[in-house]
Amino acid sequence: MRIPCPHCGERGFQEFAYYGDAGPKRPAHGGDTGEDVWFDYVYLRDNPAGPHEELWYHAAGCRTWLVVTRNTLTHEVAGARPARDVALERSAAP
Amino acid sequence: MSEAALLPRSPLAGLLRPVGGRGAAGVTVAERGSLRIAGLVARAGGAVLADIVRAAYGVDLPTSPRRTEADGLEFIWAGPAQWIVLAEPGADDLAATLRGRFGMLAAVTEQDDARVVLRIAGPRVRDALAKGVPIDLHPRAFGPGDVALTLAGHVPVHLWQVDDGPAYDIAVARSLAGSFCHWLRDSAGEYGMAVEG
Ligand SMILES: [Zn+2]
Repeated sequence: MRIPCPHCGERGFQEFAYYGDAGPKRPAHGGDTGEDVWFDYVYLRDNPAGPHEELWYHAAGCRTWLVVTRNTLTHEVAGARPARDVALERSAAP
Repeated sequence: MSEAALLPRSPLAGLLRPVGGRGAAGVTVAERGSLRIAGLVARAGGAVLADIVRAAYGVDLPTSPRRTEADGLEFIWAGPAQWIVLAEPGADDLAATLRGRFGMLAAVTEQDDARVVLRIAGPRVRDALAKGVPIDLHPRAFGPGDVALTLAGHVPVHLWQVDDGPAYDIAVARSLAGSFCHWLRDSAGEYGMAVEG
């Protein structure tokens, strides 16, 4: 499996560390955030058969976090973007 | 009262040994010792930092995995908005000079003793590196001035091609210099490895 790092170019997955689903958004701390919301954020994950957005760290390369779109059935990688860009986009969205 | 003399000792001392004696060596290796090395990380953006580097040294800070040279300094890409800067032995305190120039625009860390830099060349150098470096170093994919952060065996390395010889420089954390040299001896052994310098 090869991952197209937007900074380094295409590299073997051995250079990367896998973190997990890139979807969950950390709930606001304190206030009205209930235990069930935290439980959901910390423990509950979907298990999709198909395209999945996930966090990978280019540990033996540029040392940046990436959001990689990988098909969990075929390991086909559709793309990779800097996690920073994705996070900025998400925080700008209403 | 006698005074103890503290002598600088390379982390590679005793580790670089030639392999094979007959014929011309396929791989030659030399330490680029006592370099001045600084890590450079741009704060917020980096456009102003790039302007200052252009004004002071007349070159563009690489924004892709490339290396550029100016004024006795080498600027080597080390990740987004990150570089290492090398100066020849005997140069002024590099980190202090860069800090003076860039002020709050960049985080500068002195790395003089943190890494060892080896120059590896010879007609079989690509064959030797191919045994543990997972990126394509064929001329169609990687040429002089190109830079990569990758692995050699299991050792993280920062490498760049110097010329078409071909010659490569490989920077390794000093604590992993032993593991790297072990791997290099094993990989280059069948071609014969000469140690220079
Ligand atoms: Zn990378």
